[in-house]
Amino acid sequence: MNAKRSISAALLVIAGSVGGAQTLETTFRTNGQTVQSAFEPVRTVLQDCSAVIQRERMKELGGGKKIAVYDDLSYGTVMSADGVILTKASELGEGEGLTVRVGTKTFKGAAILAVDPIWDVALVKIDATGLTPVKLATDSPDPERGTWVVANGATTKLKRLPQVGMISASAREISPGGGVMGISLTEKDKRLVVEDVGEESGAAEAGIKAGDILLAVGGQEVTDLEALTKLIERRRVGEEVEVSIERKDEKLTLDVKLGEELTRNDSMSGNFSERRNGFPRVIQHDIIANNSTVGGPVLDLDGRCLGMNIARANRCETFAIPAGDLRSLTDRLMTQAGVK
Amino acid sequence: MAQGKRPFINDKKAPDSRHDLDVIQQHVKDTLPAARRATVCIDLGDGTGSGVVVSPEGLILSAAHVTSGVGKEFTVIFEDGRKLKAESLGLVASTDCAMARIIEPGTYPFIELDRDDTAKLGDWVYALGHSGGFDKERGIVVRIGRLVQMKDSTVQSDCSLIGGDSGGPLFDLNGHLIAIHSRVGSRTPENMHVPVREFLKNWDGLTKAEFIGEGPFAKKPEKGKGFLGLGTKDRPGGGLDIEKVGRESPAEKAGMKAGDILLKMDGTELKSKEQLQDLLKEKAPDDRVALELLRNGKPETLTLRLGER
Repeated sequence: MNAKRSISAALLVIAGSVGGAQTLETTFRTNGQTVQSAFEPVRTVLQDCSAVIQRERMKELGGGKKIAVYDDLSYGTVMSADGVILTKASELGEGEGLTVRVGTKTFKGAAILAVDPIWDVALVKIDATGLTPVKLATDSPDPERGTWVVANGATTKLKRLPQVGMISASAREISPGGGVMGISLTEKDKRLVVEDVGEESGAAEAGIKAGDILLAVGGQEVTDLEALTKLIERRRVGEEVEVSIERKDEKLTLDVKLGEELTRNDSMSGNFSERRNGFPRVIQHDIIANNSTVGGPVLDLDGRCLGMNIARANRCETFAIPAGDLRSLTDRLMTQAGVK
Repeated sequence: MAQGKRPFINDKKAPDSRHDLDVIQQHVKDTLPAARRATVCIDLGDGTGSGVVVSPEGLILSAAHVTSGVGKEFTVIFEDGRKLKAESLGLVASTDCAMARIIEPGTYPFIELDRDDTAKLGDWVYALGHSGGFDKERGIVVRIGRLVQMKDSTVQSDCSLIGGDSGGPLFDLNGHLIAIHSRVGSRTPENMHVPVREFLKNWDGLTKAEFIGEGPFAKKPEKGKGFLGLGTKDRPGGGLDIEKVGRESPAEKAGMKAGDILLKMDGTELKSKEQLQDLLKEKAPDDRVALELLRNGKPETLTLRLGER
C-alpha cells in the first residue's frame, strides 16, 4: 500500500478541487474530543494509575541563564501505593535524572531498581505514598477482538488525555526478530568479501567498509554465507556481536550492533518502538501510539487494567503485556529490587 | 434482502454514555465472527493483500492494485489457514475495484454487501485485513473507526491500515460490506476505501473479467510484451524443434522440455520461427495460449499464461 501513497496524495488534491466531499468534524472522529469525552470515567482512572516518565535537563537560555526542561521518555503503570512504577526499559536510556509524573504530582529522583530484559520492562521506584495502583484484570480470559480499550494518549502537566481503540488480534508470543549487520557479501575464493554497507546500519557505525574480508563472527570463523546466516539469525536485534575483519593485510576486531531489516510497512509507521519483538506474550490493539507513549496501562470500560503497553509495532498494531503476565512479572521485579 | 436495522448509534453525533459505547462494542463483537470467516489473505507470491468472499461459490472482492491484472492466479488463505487456488476476474483501474474467484469448487463463508448504499458520514465501521501478510497466531486484525469523509469513488475512515490490508473489507455495525481498503494518507487516521457502489456499478464487467477504465491502480497489459520462453528451430516438414526452455519461464512451468516438437499455437499450424514470433507479438502478458506438441511421438496439448518480457 505504501507504493500508493504518492498516488493517493495526487488523487486527494484532484478530488479536493472538484469539491462535493462531506467531511466529519475532527471532534466527532474516533479520537476527537467529543467522542473521547464519552470515555471520561475511564480517563479519571487513567489519571491516577498511569505515569509519565521524563528526564530533566538544563537548557541554556543565554546570558548565563538556565531552565529545567522535561523530555517525555515513556509512560508508566502504577503498581503499588508506595511508588512502584513499571515502564518500558529500552526507552529510558541512561538511568540518571528521571522524573515521574503521577496525577498532578511530580516526583524527582526516581530510581531504576530492576530490569527484565526479556519483557523490556524496568521497575522505577519513586518516594510516594497513597498512590492508586491499577486493578489488574487477572481473573478474566484474554480480552476478545472488539473490546474497547483506553490508554494514555497525550499528557499535560496536570491531565492525562485518553486515546481509544479496540482489541484487534489474538494474544500470542512475538518471536524475537533476527538481527542483521546491514552488509551484503560475496563469496570469493572461500572468503567473504563485504560488497556494500547499509547507511546507518550497525556495520557502518562499527566502521566496516566495502572491500573488508569477514573472518569471524562472535569468535567463530566464517567462510561461507550459510554458516554466517546460522550464526546471526539466532541473535536478537540490539545485540552486539564481535566481528573480525581483514583490511589491507591488517586484522581488526569490531563490535557490531545488530539492527532490524526494515520493510516498506515500517517506513509508513512513524516513530515505532525500537524494541518491538521478542515478547513471551502480548495482547494487541489499535490505539495510535509512538515510541514515547508506550509503557502505560491499557484499561477497559470498567477501568480495569487489561495490560501494559510495551511496543508500538507499526502503523496499526500496538502490543501490551497481558494482565496475568504483568502480575507475575511485577512480583518477580519487586523481589529482585527488594521492595515489598 | 434483509439489511438489518440501522443502529441508532450511527444517528448520534457522538456516543455520550457507557451504554452508547457498549452498543458499538456489542455490534462489533456480534458481527465479527462471520466477517472474519469471509475475509482472506491474498498471497501473490511476491507480496500479499486481502480480500473478502461475497458469494457461496467463492466470488471475492479486492483492490485492483492487489490483483493487478485480469486472469492472474494466486492463493487465498482463510483465517483458519485453509489455502485455496483463486484467479482474478475484472478490475476497474481508475477506482481500485477488483474481483476474483476461488477456482476450487466448494461452498465458502461469505458476507452480504450494503447493496442499498446506506452508509453515511459519521457511521461507525471496522476494518479487517491480514496486515503485513498472513499470521496464523495473530489472525485477522480489527480496527475501529468512523466514516470521516465521503466522495464519489472514495470513502475515508479513521481505521488505520497498513500494507497487506489492501483489498480487505470495511464493515458497518451490521456486518455488511461497505467498502474495500485502497490506500492511506500520510497521517495514521487517514485511510481510503472504495465504496461497494463502485463495484456494483461495474459488476457485469468485473464478473466477465474485463479490464475496465484507465488509471493509477492497474496497468493494462501491452501487446507484444507476452513472454513464452522457448528457443526454437524450423523443422523440415512443419512444426518447430524446441531447443531450449528458459529457466522459470512460463513454458518451463507448463512442463515443456527441450526435444519436444511444437506443432500448433491456438490452432494455427506453425511453419517457421518467424511465424511463432509474429503470433506472439499479438499477445500480451497474462494472455492464455494453447500449444499442441509432440513428445516422444505422442501428441500433447498445453495451455499456459504468458509472462511479461
